[in-house]
Amino acid sequence: MDEQERAGNGAHGNQRPGIGARVEHISSSAQQVWTEARGVASDLKEAVDLDRRMEEHPYAMLGAAAAVGYILGGGLLTSMTGTLIRLGLKVAALPWIKDELWILAGNAVASFGSRPSSSSSSEAASPGTGASTR
Amino acid sequence: MESTQQLQEKAREIQERLGPQIEEAKRGLSDLNTRIKTFVRERPGVCLLGALALGFVVGRIASRR
Repeated sequence: MDEQERAGNGAHGNQRPGIGARVEHISSSAQQVWTEARGVASDLKEAVDLDRRMEEHPYAMLGAAAAVGYILGGGLLTSMTGTLIRLGLKVAALPWIKDELWILAGNAVASFGSRPSSSSSSEAASPGTGASTR
Repeated sequence: MESTQQLQEKAREIQERLGPQIEEAKRGLSDLNTRIKTFVRERPGVCLLGALALGFVVGRIASRR
């Protein structure tokens, strides 16, 4: 049995390591853990890249943070969640609805502007052809 | 024919009346957007924590109902 083994079960051996050696051992272990934790934190920070994401999509990040807070606050399984989801869907559909309305308005204006002149000219030329062109 | 001209006149009048106000509102919103983005980019941690806290409070209020 070597000295290190005897030091491991200090209750039976005669040669116990000193308090100083133990403290040093614990200190070096703690330092190693701290270094590894810092490395992991740095890797995580690099992987998430929060600064760049905040730079590129500030509103999305704020919304995500608020959503995480909402879930942590216990609001997930409430009626308000349904209301918020419905509201979100409506807001998301707004651009599409706007585009459709613009197209409808454009078509309406185009037909409204072209109707009197074309109908009057076609009626003047031949009354029967006006209905076939519509 | 006359009603078409009247409608066009009316539309032009409305456009002339509301155009500057809409432009002003657009400019104001754009300015506000820029200021908010600048603020968030300068203090990302504070803004994220604030949003998290706000969401937490809203979630807490919603769960109590």
